[in-house]
Amino acid sequence: MVLNITKLSLGSLLMPMIISCNNQSEHNANAVIVNKKLKDTCKYQAYDAHQIISNLSCKSCHLSPDIEIEDDRGWPTFRGLANMDSLKLVDYVFTKKHQDSYSKNGAFKTNIMDTLNDCQIKSVIRYIKDSGRDIAVPTQ
Amino acid sequence: MRFAMLQNQPLTGGIVAKNLRISDNGNGELSLYGDFTITLKVLDLTTNGAPNLNSLMTFTQQVISNKLRGGGYKSGVSIHKYNENQKAFNKNKIWSYSIRYNFNFMVNVIQINMLSQLKGNDFVLAVVDTIGHQFTDQYGQIQGSAGLTQGAGWPAAVSYNSWLRNKYFGAHEFFHTLDLNDIEDGNKKNRLMYHLSDNSGHVISDAEKGDMMQYIVGNINDMAKKEYSNINLNTVSRVRIFLNKSIYAIKYNKAKFR
Repeated sequence: MVLNITKLSLGSLLMPMIISCNNQSEHNANAVIVNKKLKDTCKYQAYDAHQIISNLSCKSCHLSPDIEIEDDRGWPTFRGLANMDSLKLVDYVFTKKHQDSYSKNGAFKTNIMDTLNDCQIKSVIRYIKDSGRDIAVPTQ
Repeated sequence: MRFAMLQNQPLTGGIVAKNLRISDNGNGELSLYGDFTITLKVLDLTTNGAPNLNSLMTFTQQVISNKLRGGGYKSGVSIHKYNENQKAFNKNKIWSYSIRYNFNFMVNVIQINMLSQLKGNDFVLAVVDTIGHQFTDQYGQIQGSAGLTQGAGWPAAVSYNSWLRNKYFGAHEFFHTLDLNDIEDGNKKNRLMYHLSDNSGHVISDAEKGDMMQYIVGNINDMAKKEYSNINLNTVSRVRIFLNKSIYAIKYNKAKFR
């Protein structure tokens, strides 16, 4: 009898634990799905990233065909930008060098640098880093 | 380049600009006029020869000419401020312009048979046997490569048999050299730069035309001063590096590579 009561008590203790574990894993699964959904919203498209680069006219100053890292004005070429570490590049592009020029009263005020969202910034950085890497057309 | 001018020889290179004229309407719009010669050199490196190469080159020349015809328009281009009176750009001031590109283009697609016919500022398309490089598209599909390049100003390669199957590949690869990007967006299947197999058209958008014009006049400061040939791209060295990269696994007749 005592044994049965003990079994029942243990059973009743275990049940919520199992349920709680199940809930936990369900919760985790939901978290994974939510995270995945969040990640999926920022898809990289080279074409779209290029349109941002093009609208900002990056290549008017940072010439793409140059074989050197810097031009004779000391400005990095597009190749020079691609050679920068990603974090340094974000800092260089969006903080240190262009902040005033792209502000509401700056010389590039018609451009959109101040309004880029995080996903667009990530895409721009990836596009710059990818430049000079392989571009293939698939076999058909 | 100066030496060539002293010799009174025509300028060579992928982009040769003449008679560039700039008109500023004083309201943020520049109109550019000029005559451009665009030359793509096709280097046949196939082992068994490419009997239909001439017709593929003629077709490619026509497509490139058609797509560049009429110039283009682009707004929000940031370049040095133009001084209409001095007919020169002020290197100390950056200005945002809308630009109308009213250009005449002559496009040459010519065959060369050896590296010595290639100069540092040429554009080149190498025709090879096969390209072993594989890549993963945005849908996660692993794809083989019919053509390959490394983008703006770089040499490109196309496998001869693939080019025979899709005669637009030559122009597609060349437009990468003029700084256009591949498209994988399913809503843009009718575009020439859509590079997956369910491509359904060969459209170049106005935005893409504007981008190519912007690339072509990349050195506008120098172009405005005199007859101009594009800057050194180190093409001979680049084509050696490009074709021999082990990860690209490009097969071609090495005896022709001289």
